[in-house]
Amino acid sequence: MGFLQNDGDIILDAVLTDTGRMRLAKGDGSFRISKFALGDDEINYGLYDKNNTSGSAYYDLTVLQTPVLEAFTNNTSTMKSKLISINRNDILYLPVLELYTTAGKGSAKNANGAFNVAVDKNTIDTLVTPGTGILNGFKPNDDVSRVEVHQGLDTTELSNEEPLARDLVEVAYIVEIDNRFGAIFPPPGGVSNTVLETDTQSPAATPSFIDDDNIASYYFTLRNTNGFVANLGGTEDSSIAGPRGTKLGFRIMSSLELRTSDYLFTQLGTLAASALSNDAGTNLTASNYRFIDTTVRVTGVNTGYRIDIPLRFVRSV
Amino acid sequence: MATTFKTLRSKDVVSTRTMLHEAIPMTGTIVSGTYNDLNIKNYSHGIFQSVFDYPYLSSSANHIFDMSAGYASGSALSGSGFLQNAKKVNIYNELSQILVGFDETGSIRNFDEDGDLTGGTKLREVFFLNFTRLLQKDEIKKGSFSVEFGTSASVGNPFATRVTLSDISGATAYKVNSPAGEYGILYANNSVGTTLKNAYTVTQTKAGLIFYQAGIAVITASLFSGSYNKAAAGTYVGGELGLLSQSISGVQLSPYANTTVANSPALSLVSGNNDINDVLSASAISGTCDVLRHRLYNIQFNNTTELNSTIYFCRANHNEFNYSSNPTYLSASKLVVKNNSQDTPVSYATSVGMYSPDNELLAVAKLSEPMKKDPSNEFTIRVRLDY
Repeated sequence: MGFLQNDGDIILDAVLTDTGRMRLAKGDGSFRISKFALGDDEINYGLYDKNNTSGSAYYDLTVLQTPVLEAFTNNTSTMKSKLISINRNDILYLPVLELYTTAGKGSAKNANGAFNVAVDKNTIDTLVTPGTGILNGFKPNDDVSRVEVHQGLDTTELSNEEPLARDLVEVAYIVEIDNRFGAIFPPPGGVSNTVLETDTQSPAATPSFIDDDNIASYYFTLRNTNGFVANLGGTEDSSIAGPRGTKLGFRIMSSLELRTSDYLFTQLGTLAASALSNDAGTNLTASNYRFIDTTVRVTGVNTGYRIDIPLRFVRSV
Repeated sequence: MATTFKTLRSKDVVSTRTMLHEAIPMTGTIVSGTYNDLNIKNYSHGIFQSVFDYPYLSSSANHIFDMSAGYASGSALSGSGFLQNAKKVNIYNELSQILVGFDETGSIRNFDEDGDLTGGTKLREVFFLNFTRLLQKDEIKKGSFSVEFGTSASVGNPFATRVTLSDISGATAYKVNSPAGEYGILYANNSVGTTLKNAYTVTQTKAGLIFYQAGIAVITASLFSGSYNKAAAGTYVGGELGLLSQSISGVQLSPYANTTVANSPALSLVSGNNDINDVLSASAISGTCDVLRHRLYNIQFNNTTELNSTIYFCRANHNEFNYSSNPTYLSASKLVVKNNSQDTPVSYATSVGMYSPDNELLAVAKLSEPMKKDPSNEFTIRVRLDY
């Protein structure tokens, strides 16, 4: 994408996203714009010089000169950070989302820096015990390993026993994952929103929608008592140092395609050059498994903060 | 409650319709000369000829218009002995049934000189110029069409005298009795020299029709014939009375007499020395189109694109969008744009995302430069989506 010309009047470059065009083409009324948000993806607030000795007119001189890219048509490539409306001006701290990765709590990443998802029975059997940062994608219910995201003020300047202001508590999350690889599964103790009495194992959650790029979006709220979102207690072990809001937990169920075929692994994946270690030692040696690296994205619906969590789908060969 | 979305109310959304016009100038050298006819495509069926803006075998070529010629079955030219007689009648009938329709008996009407279908002079021997949608878009702007032809009797210098056909009254006096939309009458006027028989007023000489939405110009062949309807010796059959003071003979019309266009077909002339009606009856459609092309000096019109737009007024009030979820906005959860809680928050918008009720991004608009937002200002961003 080129930069927009910025030597004259402010102009607006508007395009439909690929998803917008897809919905328009469907003609089923699903193309309905009902709300808007403002984004600031290009801005680096680190350039805001609030202590400039020349005066306040110089604070944002560099920020205002930031070149702005033309609009992307890919719906997932833009509006990554949004402006937030909060009806008061005295806020000095804003909450963030952080991965809860304390060792021994079932939600730590693997030594390779990602959450590894063993996609089929053969891979699980080879590993024997999945271990730290290795999720059971074949039967998620058989293991407590999970991804956990905590929300709150990650600062030591405020006590974690301080309550987080109500208007800063995140009560809803959007989780996005490539639907070709896997689905979001309830955390230990949680239930899926599609559970049936006849199910022998809780199934994966149902996505709100799947876009044209196969990105599935899941919507979880504190109100739903399915265990995905819960309050984060002030004394609970957490990656948040200060006042806490809520936490989101989930596991990953591998897709049927990844379980039954190595097609995507050969197309998009890599033959491992190093071993995958679990807590009991090395079980998947180099060259004996393929992996696909991707991310799962968690966004706070109200606070707009988002994090990308690295995922690695693993299949023994 | 913190929020990143703002719901658009009914008063924030408005639909509009805008007509966009572009000027389309075409010089005659494009259709005869510049590319040595490599931009002219003839088909094995021989019913029409396509004109491109570049040699048509190149991927850069754009199809700009088609040409054809034909006459009504009731024309004096119609006769089974003439070359491609059925095809000329068929193309006339095809376009007349689409553009003029049928009468109460179900018979195909002929093109009418003044648009009054109940009577008057009919255009029975005509040329067709069919402009592509690439050029005409939704329609040709009424009152903007003009086409200029060389009417000199000199085969080597056909543009020494010229006649311009234009829809002078098209903007206000267009006709609405066509099944294919609105159309105007093309009036012929001398532009260089005085070759027209009658041109005392600009709307005196009717020489064709221009169908605005269909993008088709119907031009009478009598534009190139004289005032006499000569029943010459031989097989000359004669068409409508001509508009010129003096006919241009078939030989003088032949584009190949003084040129060396490769593989050019020789015109078939029944009596060899009469006028355009002779060419029209005895030559193939492609040869007849060649004649017209080499008499075409230029074409000019404005096209029209009908833009339906929805405008979304995205209003940011003083107490909205003053904070950001940008990771660089915080350092250890503390706002980097504030020293203390009494400082006013500030943010910088660079884009506007338009969302569905289920939070899917349907459209995005980018500002050309960051726009500062703090509690002391408000703004409305007008996002227009065109369909």
